[in-house]
Amino acid sequence: MSVEAAGKAEASRFSLTNLIRQPLLVALVLIVLLLALGEMLSPGFASPQQILRLLIVAALLGIVAAGQNLVILGGREGIDLSVGGIVSLSAIIAGNVMNGADSGILPAILACVAAGALFGTFNGIGVTLLRIPPLVMTLGMLGVLQGLLVVIRQGVPSGRAAPALSEFVTRPFLLGLPGIIWLWVLIGLLMAFLLRRTVFGYRVYAIGSNEQAAFLAGVPVRLIRISLFTLSGAFAGLAGLCLIGYAGSSFANVGELYMLPSIIAVVLGGTPLSGGKGGYTGTMAGAVLLVILQSILTTINIDESGRQMIFGATLLVLMLFYGRGRAMRA
Amino acid sequence: MSAIETGTSQRPGLAALVERFPFLPALVILLALLALNGWFQPNSLGFRAITGLISTYLALMMLSVAQTYVVYAGDVDLSVGAILSLVNCVIIVLMERWGGGGIAVLMACALGILTGLACGLLNGFVVAVLRLQAIVATFATSIFFTGIALYVLPVAGTPAPTIYWRTYGGRFFEIPFVFYVVAALAIVLVMATRARLTTQMLAVGDDAFKAFQGGLPVTAIRLKGYMLCGVFSALAALCITGDTASGDPLVGGAMTLYSVAAVVLGGTALSGGRGSVVGSVLGALIIGLISSLVFYVGTPSQWQNLVQGLAILLALMLGVMVTRRVQR
Amino acid sequence: MSNLTIRGARKAYGATVALRRGDLDLREGEVHVLIGSNGSGKSTLCKIVSGSVRPDAGEVLIDGKTVSIDGPRAARALGLATFYQELSLAAHRTVAENISLPELPGKGGFFVDRERLNGIAERYIRRFADVAGEGFSADARVEHLREDQRQLVEIMKTLATEAPILIFDEPTSSLDRSQVERFFEVLRELKAQGRAIIFISHRMDEIFAIGDRVTVIRDGETVGTSLISETKPASIIHQMVGESELAVTNGAPPAAAEVKTEAVLSVAGLSAKGFVNVSFEVRRGEILGFGGLHGQGQSAVLRSIFGVNPTDQGTIHIKGEKRTIRSPREAIRCGLAYISGDRGRDGVVHGRPILENVTPIHFLRNKLSLVRPGSLRERAAKPLSALKTRFAGYDQPVNALSGGNQQKIVIARWLIDRPDVLLLDDPTKGIDLQAKTDLFALIRSLAAEGMGIVLYSSEDAELLANADRILVFNSGSVSRELTGADRTRYNLYHAAYEAA
Repeated sequence: MSVEAAGKAEASRFSLTNLIRQPLLVALVLIVLLLALGEMLSPGFASPQQILRLLIVAALLGIVAAGQNLVILGGREGIDLSVGGIVSLSAIIAGNVMNGADSGILPAILACVAAGALFGTFNGIGVTLLRIPPLVMTLGMLGVLQGLLVVIRQGVPSGRAAPALSEFVTRPFLLGLPGIIWLWVLIGLLMAFLLRRTVFGYRVYAIGSNEQAAFLAGVPVRLIRISLFTLSGAFAGLAGLCLIGYAGSSFANVGELYMLPSIIAVVLGGTPLSGGKGGYTGTMAGAVLLVILQSILTTINIDESGRQMIFGATLLVLMLFYGRGRAMRA
Repeated sequence: MSAIETGTSQRPGLAALVERFPFLPALVILLALLALNGWFQPNSLGFRAITGLISTYLALMMLSVAQTYVVYAGDVDLSVGAILSLVNCVIIVLMERWGGGGIAVLMACALGILTGLACGLLNGFVVAVLRLQAIVATFATSIFFTGIALYVLPVAGTPAPTIYWRTYGGRFFEIPFVFYVVAALAIVLVMATRARLTTQMLAVGDDAFKAFQGGLPVTAIRLKGYMLCGVFSALAALCITGDTASGDPLVGGAMTLYSVAAVVLGGTALSGGRGSVVGSVLGALIIGLISSLVFYVGTPSQWQNLVQGLAILLALMLGVMVTRRVQR
Repeated sequence: MSNLTIRGARKAYGATVALRRGDLDLREGEVHVLIGSNGSGKSTLCKIVSGSVRPDAGEVLIDGKTVSIDGPRAARALGLATFYQELSLAAHRTVAENISLPELPGKGGFFVDRERLNGIAERYIRRFADVAGEGFSADARVEHLREDQRQLVEIMKTLATEAPILIFDEPTSSLDRSQVERFFEVLRELKAQGRAIIFISHRMDEIFAIGDRVTVIRDGETVGTSLISETKPASIIHQMVGESELAVTNGAPPAAAEVKTEAVLSVAGLSAKGFVNVSFEVRRGEILGFGGLHGQGQSAVLRSIFGVNPTDQGTIHIKGEKRTIRSPREAIRCGLAYISGDRGRDGVVHGRPILENVTPIHFLRNKLSLVRPGSLRERAAKPLSALKTRFAGYDQPVNALSGGNQQKIVIARWLIDRPDVLLLDDPTKGIDLQAKTDLFALIRSLAAEGMGIVLYSSEDAELLANADRILVFNSGSVSRELTGADRTRYNLYHAAYEAA
């Protein structure tokens, strides 16, 4: 009775408050507003080429955020701080494997994804089998990766991207969009499929929401959690490869720039850090939003200090929309 | 059945001990590292070397203490490094502007601490009052604070007045200044352990909602935790200014994550409700000793970061596992 | 001392109305029982008074004056103290600290006064010293205590406020008989002092043992208040359900089914943490009851069989085959099902749609990797309707349902593919009478279809009404088996208490 009625009422109601609670919608509206603002501040900001460039940058962040999203969805304070290190490492590996030759692309893809997956698996094993809190485990792993980078950098040159890869990332490929955008769309579709139409996806939500109940219902909790970290590492590895395609060559600790922003993109996309809720579509919008915001700030003519202050304050305001926890008193 | 007994007698001795003093595993690791340092380089246990270690890592010790006060209540503060940078810039600029005399230094330090308090207040406001998620919200405020630091001091390099770093690096009655600071810190921390606020913060860390239902002023307690964190971050800034003798708007950037690592090394649970500030101080020292050990064993320079990273990861894992093993 | 009046309290969460019109009149010097099936709104009513829920309408009066309760702290200041059903304890703090939280006795405003802290604690611990059990002391940490001991701490914490108005929301759910009796002694003293006490319990015998007046809530509305001395359990139940009730919990035990089928589950010499050398058999079509005082190893046995906790010794045969079960996953593959009464912890996947909540076992047993929502809905429909589950749609989040319906969703997940053995671990804890009726009707029909069922229930009446055989547990082992006409309340109590 009352519950059924409630359900129906909920479904039929279409009020403004409900709309504001839709992170994806809010992000999309904000994206449009920010583009308009950018265009006002600096004509040409919202030109097709500019938007394309922004989307490429967003795709790089979005690919890292895909893995981050999975780890966070899996709950138990899931978070992956090591993605920054993996992106940097993968960029170096990719540069060296390809070394400017197209024939090296396939080996580079394999090497990057495998390296990322390997470190991700280490994270996963530490978090599940040794029961180290994810923040601690991935933080420690970040330190290891940074050390590893120093070693590798001393030993080998940073390498160059294969021309075909650079073309894939930066030049139009299909319908005027570069390959990386298509890759991102493909990842988006795959993530949606994974989370909504596979048993794996259902189980990810289950362990993220109530691990004990999932365990009692026969969900292989550890295996799933390890594979989430493996996937996170693999996505970061892939992003490192794409990054070198975008930049041409890798530079020191380039991946650091993705560590916390990937988490912010997930949060702005409506997945709370507590896990078990949310999805990747919102995260994609979150990544675009974040990139546009940064881009506007570089467009306007103010000091670095002012830019940072505005960026920080804006992030806080954005989080007010949907990053808030529950009130103690309901 | 005589139920009222003092002491949880049925719990094994070691477990009860670690429960009472959560920093014990950290202390063991610290002593082992000291022994190893002494083994590879006997001089490293000398007065001079220890003084050097403490002057260098006093800032991290303070910063780890700062972090602990928010972790107690189950929060985290990723802006401690940015607060440290900001306060560093603020006092450097003020001391220079006011002529670098003794009074100027003291005034600048006081204002620096107030700056830290204000930063903590902002963090507490966004996390406890506005209920933003601590990790992302304090990351956002850290960007904001870095912006202010860059505004106060756009480029690194302004030196600290001589009187400032001379005092910090100097001796009084043959005892280095930093030892007094450590002693004062120890007294303050031990006293703080007995404070009502500490128990309240830990109760909030156990379960904030239950604490709220039980009548604790949860929001105010978390806010106070962030304010304490801001103050100790500012104290860390005073130390780093004494150590580096200059201003740098980005000096604290890398230290945030180290402060989190130190807290965990010290046996404090990131989920809140359990831990000790003393452990965090030990944790900071462990990080310092690991990097000096890596140096003393003769690791080639390009390998040092990797070995250090591995050692810290190992220590983190070991600490978490030992603490858990003993506690069950 | 004070009188408390609540008039027209109302609370809605979105479109779901938790409390429609709550009225209550509490006088000093009385124990006022609040009763109603789960989801009827009595906890919401309590939480409005204790300040942790903000009412949408209505007023609260203390001694005739309207007061506004802005939060738990404000409630304390007004002289209201609450025992929370889900407890408000800090696990890593000591018993003494918990008793005095949040008003820790201070020294110089800044430090905790340890002496006074322990003094306060001892004053309240003393009252329960001989019934609190092993390991209960002022400086024991709450995390190391058993569930019943934690409940005692919450009781002491509530008492320590020395508030004139005390609200106890299911304070006895985990307590054993001696602890309940002691608690009632304390309540009687408080009553004599002129305190006003609200008491919530699902146990009819407790209500009649301690209550002065009773107020019944149904569907979020206060139905009526009567004197305990002038009412009967049957009429209270009548008021609660609003129609003549099937009264599962009060029927006489049915004639035991003559079960001569093969054993579907047999356990021999099983030992693990919490119990030793437990042996029994369950036959197809049989409901085997586990009885005895709370926490005598019944749950531990079930959880060990299901692979949740490790076993030290013993063998388990399922359908005549010897099995080693190391995890719930393996147990499910062997044809076992386990339903815990603690649905919040063990059952419900919070915040997720109903479809996701009913499907995990189906996925596992059929080794699926892709989800086809259409066919899943079809498969789930049968067990859900067999349980008379009320819900709006499969995409509705499970938390929008009432407690009883949530538990039905959890049970349904085990019934999409029939298991051979159903292990029920106090499955009706905190669910309403109607849901209980639906559940036991289904269990009986499942047994009739050839399933073997083990039922542990903390409510003796439930056990007597539904089990064909009862194993009484005492201190971790089976002290007696009750069959046929031996299944009486007297025998059950006797076996549970002897040598305890």
